[in-house]
Amino acid sequence: MSGRGGGTGTEGALPAIQVEGLSKLYRRMAAGAKLRTLKSALMDRSLTRGLAASEAIAALEQVSFEVPRGEAFGVIGGNGSGKSTLLKILAGILQPSEGRVVVDGRVAALIELGAGFHPEISGRENVYINGAVLGLGRREVDRRLDSIIAFSGLEDFIDEPVKNYSSGMYVRLGFAVAVHTDPDVLLVDEVLAVGDEAFAHKCLRRIEEMLAAGRTILFVSHSLDLVESLCDRVLWLEGGRQRMVGEPRRVVDAYRQAVAEEEGRAHRAEKEAREALEATRERPPGHGASGQAAGGPGAAGASVEGEGGDDGERGERRWGSREAEITGVRLLAGGAGAAGGGEERYHLASGEPAVFELAVRARRPLADFVFGIQISTPRGIECWGTNTLLEGLEPERFTGEARVRVVCPRLRLAPGEYVLDVAVHGRDGAPYDYRRGVVDFTVTSRERGIGVYFPEHRWEFEGAVEWRPEGAGAKVVPDRIAHSKEPR
Amino acid sequence: MLRSAVALVRFRGLLATLTVRELKARYRGSVLGFLWSLANPLLLLGVYTFVFGLVFRPRTAGAEPYALFLITGLFPWIWVSSAILEGSMSFITNSGLVRKAVFPLELLPSVAVLSNLVHFLLALPILALALAVGRALGHPLGGWTALLLPLVVAIQIPMLAGVVLGLAALNVHFKDVRDIVANLLTFLFFLAPILYPLEAIPFRPLWWLVRLNPFTPFTLAYQQTLFYGVVPDPELWLQMVLVALVAWALGTWLFDRLRETLVEAV
Repeated sequence: MSGRGGGTGTEGALPAIQVEGLSKLYRRMAAGAKLRTLKSALMDRSLTRGLAASEAIAALEQVSFEVPRGEAFGVIGGNGSGKSTLLKILAGILQPSEGRVVVDGRVAALIELGAGFHPEISGRENVYINGAVLGLGRREVDRRLDSIIAFSGLEDFIDEPVKNYSSGMYVRLGFAVAVHTDPDVLLVDEVLAVGDEAFAHKCLRRIEEMLAAGRTILFVSHSLDLVESLCDRVLWLEGGRQRMVGEPRRVVDAYRQAVAEEEGRAHRAEKEAREALEATRERPPGHGASGQAAGGPGAAGASVEGEGGDDGERGERRWGSREAEITGVRLLAGGAGAAGGGEERYHLASGEPAVFELAVRARRPLADFVFGIQISTPRGIECWGTNTLLEGLEPERFTGEARVRVVCPRLRLAPGEYVLDVAVHGRDGAPYDYRRGVVDFTVTSRERGIGVYFPEHRWEFEGAVEWRPEGAGAKVVPDRIAHSKEPR
Repeated sequence: MLRSAVALVRFRGLLATLTVRELKARYRGSVLGFLWSLANPLLLLGVYTFVFGLVFRPRTAGAEPYALFLITGLFPWIWVSSAILEGSMSFITNSGLVRKAVFPLELLPSVAVLSNLVHFLLALPILALALAVGRALGHPLGGWTALLLPLVVAIQIPMLAGVVLGLAALNVHFKDVRDIVANLLTFLFFLAPILYPLEAIPFRPLWWLVRLNPFTPFTLAYQQTLFYGVVPDPELWLQMVLVALVAWALGTWLFDRLRETLVEAV
C-alpha cells in the first residue's frame, strides 16, 4: 500500500526504515485519569490501554511505508498531522502503540533545536555532551571538534554559554554535531527553517553529500518547495492517517490543492457567518431604515459612525448613507459565461475565470449611481480597481433589487491572498454603501513569480543559450491554467 | 535490574559528562565557584559548634563533642537528601533531553546522586580537619577506620541510585511524589540517629523504629568509621548491602515498568 518504490529498492538490501501498521495513541489530559494512567503504565506499560476510547487520541493510525537505503524521504502535512510523532517513534524516543518499526543502522535525530544543550555552559562543552548523547565518545568528539565548529560557523562564540546564542546559532551547532556523528539514518524535523539562507544551503549540501554516500534521510518540513526538490519520495499525513505516498510533485500538488480547498471552505463559512449576523442585525432597524434614508444627511452621518465602529471588529469596514445597499457579495470561479456559471468559491487558480457578483438594492429610485470594485492585498497594496463611471457608463435609473457582475474571463493575479472592496456611490463619490474587505480570497498557481500580476508570457531565446531538458519530461499543468511558459 | 546497571556502566562516559555538566552549571557565573561547596559545610560546622559547644552544651553520653557527632551524620545526610530531592525530579527538569534525545534515561537520576556525592566529598576535608582538631583537644575520635569510608560510600551509591530511579519514574506520572518525598525525608531525618546516638533512645519500640529506617545502617557506619574510630561489625555491612540491593531492585523494577511511558508523560 505504500506506493511504488516500497520494498523494491536495491536488490537484496534491507530497507533503512520499515514501518508497518504503525499507530500511536495519546491520552487526553483528563485530571481524573491521572491515577488510572499510572496504574495502566505500571500494569501493562501503556498509558492508553486502560483508558476508554474517549480519553485517547490517535496521533498516528495505520501508517505503513518503507524507505530504501540512500533515499531522501519527505513527510508533509499540516500541524497536528502526526509528523513529529512519527519522527520521534523512528528515533526510538517514543514507543508505538501498535505496529512494527524497524530502523536499520545508526540514527541521528534532529528533532528540535538544541536538544540537550545546557544553557549555562559553553558551546564547546555542549558539543561534547551533545556528541555523547548521540553516541560519540570523548575522543571521537575531539577528532571532529574542529570540523564541527567550522561547520557551525560559530568560531567566535564557541566558548560563550549557550544561553546567549540566538535560535539560529542553536540550530547551527545542533546540526553540525548531528551530521558529524556519521549516522546511517538522519531524521530532520523542520530545523533548517531557522537558520539563515547561507547556512540552509550548507546543510542542504551536506545532506546531498550524505545521500550520495548512501545514507538515508527522513525529512519533515512545511517548506514544500524544499521537499519537492530534495526528496525522492514524499509521505503526506493528515490527522495521523496516511493520505498519499509517492513521487514528490504528485503528492505536493495534491497537498497544495487540498490546502487551497480547505481555505476556500473556511472563507465560505466565515462569509456565511457574517451574512447570518448581518441578517439578524438588520431586522430590528428595518422599519427605521427607510425613514432614516428620508431623514437626510444628518441621519446618514450618524449611521456612518455606528456602522464603522462595530464592523471594524470583524475585518470589514462599511459606511455610507444606505440609500442604495450592497446586500451580498459572491465570488464565482471556474465558469466563464456572462451569466456567471461558475461555482461559488474563494480560492482560485491564477488565470481562472472569475466573476465578482454584487447583490444590490435601491431604497429609493436613484438616478445618480456608480458601482465599483477593488482588489488589494491584505497589506493594502491596490492591485486593480474600476467602476462603472471610469468605464464610461452613464447612470440613468436604478430601482429595487439588482445584480451586478464584473466578469473576468481570466483573472491573472499572482498567487497570494487578496481582499475585495465593493461600493455603490454617487458620481461625486458620496457613498451610499461602501464595504471594504467584504470578501477575502486566495489565488494559487503552480508557476512562481513575484508581485501581484501574472501576465501570460513565455521565454524565448536566440543564440547559444541552452537548457537542460526537464527530468520527468511532461510537466503537469492543470488545464484551467492557460499559461505557455516554456522552460523553468 | 541488570539491564539498567549495564547501561550505567556502558554509558559511564556520558554519565561522567552529564555529571560534570551539572557541576559546572551549578557554579557557572558565581565568583567563588566550587568554593561554595566548602563554604556550606564550614558554615554549618561553625554554627553547630557555637550553638552546641558554647550555648546548649548537651551532655549526651557517647556523643561528645556533640557538634562533631552531629556533622559526622549530617554531611552524608545532606548528600542523601539533596540527591533524592534532585534525582526524583530529574526526568522533569531534564525534559528537554528526555523528549528529544535518544539515550539511556536511567543516567539522569544517577547524575543527581553523583554530582551531590562530589559536594559531599568536597566537604570531607572540613570534617576531617574538625575531627583532627577534636582529637588534638583530647577526645578519642576517628583513626585509621576512616579508610573504610570509600566502601560505605560505594554501597550507598547504588542504594541512592535505585531509590532515585524509581522515584523519578513515578514522579513523571504522579507529581505528588515530590511533596511526599520532601516530607518523608524530613521524617526519616529525625528517625535516623543523626541528632542523637541510638543508645540515647529510652523507649524500645521507638528504638526499633529508628533501627528499621533504611538510612540508619549507613548513618551508623559513617559515625563508626569517622567519629568513633570503630570497624563496623559484619552485621552492619550486611544490612547496608541488603538495603542497597533491595533499593536498586525496587527502583529498577519501577523504572522498567514505567520506562516506555515516560517520554509521553513528561
